[in-house]
Amino acid sequence: MALLEVSHLKKIYTTRLGGAKIQALKDVSFSVEAGEYVAIMGESGSGKTTLLNILAALDKPTVGEVLLEGRSLVALKEREISAFRRDNLGFVFQDFNLLDNFSVQDNIFLPLVLAGKSYEEMVKQITPLAHRLGIADILKKYPYEISGGQKQRTAAARALITAPRLLLADEPTGALDSRASEELLSLFADINRDGQTILMVTHSIAAASHAGRVLFIKDGQVFHQLYRASLRREEMYQRISDTLTTIATSSERRQS
Amino acid sequence: MKRFFYFRLALQNILNNKKSYIPYILTVIGTVLMYYSFQCMADNPGIQDLRGGTVVSMIMGFGTFVVGLFAVIFLFYTNSFLIKQRKKEFALFNILGMEKRHLGRVLLWETLFVAIIGLAAGFCGGLLLTKLMYLFLLRLMDFPVQLGFYVSWSAFGSCVVLFGLIFLFTWLNALCQIHLASPVQLLQQQKAGEKEPRTKLLMTTLGVFCLGAGYYISLTTESPITALTLFFVAVILVIIGTYLVFTSGSIAWLKFLRSRKHYYYKTHHFISVSGMLYRMKQNAVGLANICILSTMVLVMLSATVALYAGSENMIHSQYPRELMVYAEQTTEDRADAYEERVSQYLQENGLAAQDVISYREMGGVMVREGNNLRGPVGAQDMLVSVEAHFMRLEDFRQMTDEALVQTLGTDQVYLLYRGKDIPGDTLGVSGLSFQIEDRMTFEEAGVDPAVLTDSYNVADVYVILVKDDGVLGQIKTAVDREIGVEDSIFYGCDPASDQLRYVYGFDLGDEAQVKEVQSQMANLLAEAGIPQGGIENRYDNMASYYEMNGGLLFLGIFLALLFGMAAVLIMYYKQISEGYDDRERYQIMQRVGLSRREVRASIRSQVLSVFYLPLVTAVIHVAFAFPIIVRLIALFNLNDVGLFLLTTVVTVLAFGLLYAIVYAMTARVYYRIVSE
Repeated sequence: MALLEVSHLKKIYTTRLGGAKIQALKDVSFSVEAGEYVAIMGESGSGKTTLLNILAALDKPTVGEVLLEGRSLVALKEREISAFRRDNLGFVFQDFNLLDNFSVQDNIFLPLVLAGKSYEEMVKQITPLAHRLGIADILKKYPYEISGGQKQRTAAARALITAPRLLLADEPTGALDSRASEELLSLFADINRDGQTILMVTHSIAAASHAGRVLFIKDGQVFHQLYRASLRREEMYQRISDTLTTIATSSERRQS
Repeated sequence: MKRFFYFRLALQNILNNKKSYIPYILTVIGTVLMYYSFQCMADNPGIQDLRGGTVVSMIMGFGTFVVGLFAVIFLFYTNSFLIKQRKKEFALFNILGMEKRHLGRVLLWETLFVAIIGLAAGFCGGLLLTKLMYLFLLRLMDFPVQLGFYVSWSAFGSCVVLFGLIFLFTWLNALCQIHLASPVQLLQQQKAGEKEPRTKLLMTTLGVFCLGAGYYISLTTESPITALTLFFVAVILVIIGTYLVFTSGSIAWLKFLRSRKHYYYKTHHFISVSGMLYRMKQNAVGLANICILSTMVLVMLSATVALYAGSENMIHSQYPRELMVYAEQTTEDRADAYEERVSQYLQENGLAAQDVISYREMGGVMVREGNNLRGPVGAQDMLVSVEAHFMRLEDFRQMTDEALVQTLGTDQVYLLYRGKDIPGDTLGVSGLSFQIEDRMTFEEAGVDPAVLTDSYNVADVYVILVKDDGVLGQIKTAVDREIGVEDSIFYGCDPASDQLRYVYGFDLGDEAQVKEVQSQMANLLAEAGIPQGGIENRYDNMASYYEMNGGLLFLGIFLALLFGMAAVLIMYYKQISEGYDDRERYQIMQRVGLSRREVRASIRSQVLSVFYLPLVTAVIHVAFAFPIIVRLIALFNLNDVGLFLLTTVVTVLAFGLLYAIVYAMTARVYYRIVSE
């Protein structure tokens, strides 16, 4: 059984004024196996963010089903959602979403505190993780005192400390310079090699080229997918780039 | 044309920032309203007619000062946070080609705009409020109040000057902030967030010291007259102490909480402690303001309610019986003859005197130094005076059921006292020395102090019982020698010819009859050969007592409403401005897995501590202020500590309930903003 099973997702927004309907997702189906590293690519407005929100249980689809280890996210009750999200999902956002009033350590502790873990347990979990992510020296600092790369690694630590089934990343390199991006991506590759399932939404080819599989979304449906198999990063980069060109030109051709 | 441009831009800016400007303008209006209303009451000529008018106007003048101080601190703070929020906007204007001096001009227009709206609305509100409150209270209290409704032009004037200055300084402050930074710095500053405040040990110590000193004054001041002067010193110390302890002490406290890992890492402690610490600098001043305002409300209400409720008690202490006769140069024979005539007259008219009191004594104001009593010399002595009454033992024996000593020698006295006991076994009176045979308090003797004492309930009282007229004569001679016969404190007494001060009183139980009998009493005095005496009835003074204490109560409620409103306004402002600040934080936490229920719980925890901290501190302040206020209301002739304690407790409870309601309301507003 796949870790994540997405079948026939459809999402229609109704605008508040006038009641015009906008279709964000038309029909999306795919599955993610445990230990996979999947990147989802698509242009702005292709429905990536909507898809990610549904996967994160922040939003519900109009039609369709999302199963995480066989459990339906769509059928979750309002009261269960927070705990479910806390226990099973980890998030890394483009703009870090760190809290200024917490030190780096406390930011990482946040999900554990919410889960009611004891202080000793939290310390036991943070020490190896902080070393692994290279933030052991800055645990006492505050978010406004550290660099963007450090912030994003802190956010990653916060996402990983609960040992989530699935790590969801939304444009994690969007606010980073190229060096920090590269560091973060190799970090993601590392933890994936250790068995962490990652689902990343991005429109950076460099970022996507680290993934084991790339899904291309266009106009609310899965347009194409690429498997990395035994390809080297450079080759993967080229493939993705080619695919994007194909997508872009095909839509242009259709328009003209 | 150009001016018009800046003006329109300023107006546009305010409209664009209305989320933060509306609470700010409301605050300005509220402060102006409060300051005007307060000034207006302080200027009110009716205040001088109140009992203890000088004391009250002194308190009011001081109160105006406190409100002014409060206005300065509060407006300055709210404004500086407003400016901070808008730094990004200033930076944008700057980058888009507006010079800093142009920005200054826009800011000037904005400030003027806020000032004009604030002052105008504040004045109108103040006028309306004073009028409405006046009518409302008048109706509610159902007695004629001397404080008329009154429009104070001088209050207008001082309002314009004070707030003009405040606005000038807020504008200069904003200019400084803009001039000191480059556009890039301005852009980043808003994002940087508030840095974690440092623990300031010096400030905390100083604050604790100020509080301690204020409390110490209250606990140790004994004389009501010194209490009056020291009261203001204590209040200022406590206000300063409150600000310091709230700003620095609260940070130290929160950091301590954070260092206790097992406490801190619990969901709602985690969120609330960090949230409060994050914004404590801003929080603290608001909290200190709420605390001080709450303290004022509690003190004023409890004291004035006690005074009003204690009117009966005060009248009783001044008029222990419905009809009171005070006469001088009265011998025993004359007193007997007089009392016989009175009872004959009453009998003829079918009346009977009840609870008759009758005694003769020699009394006056003296100064106690250790175990010596001496005559007062000069005004300074009057401030530390005690009340001394000298009586023959046999005269006193008629007033009590307690078994007293059987006989006294010429150098022996029996001591009855209220207040502080006289140390040792000997009593000196202006050079004479007596052996204190035994002593008792009024309560132990079963004698109502009101019957024997005549000063207001301020000073210590000593009733010295002696063997006979001979001893009384010695005492008069000794005291007169000390201060001079023409200044004698024993006016109208001549023990050598058995002429003493005579006090006689009884109840009839009916106001009309009392007044009827009173009109005959002067004739009867003359018939009995008593040359002069005062005849007073309780009812003549009752109305004026109620009227004046009612006036004080009115003032107390008025000010309490005013301060209470200010406190509510601050709470509301805090909740709204912080709600917008916290919204993003709560959104992030919800993404990480904080449920709505937990959001509500942590908000409750945070809002609860923020809210109840000032109330708890205010109650502590009130508890420590209790002794000095007891002394102060003694100046108003109220000496019923139990009654004042009761009104204080009731006031605190009622205020606490009101506070809880406001808390519930603002917490809901906060929650709605945060969870939008």
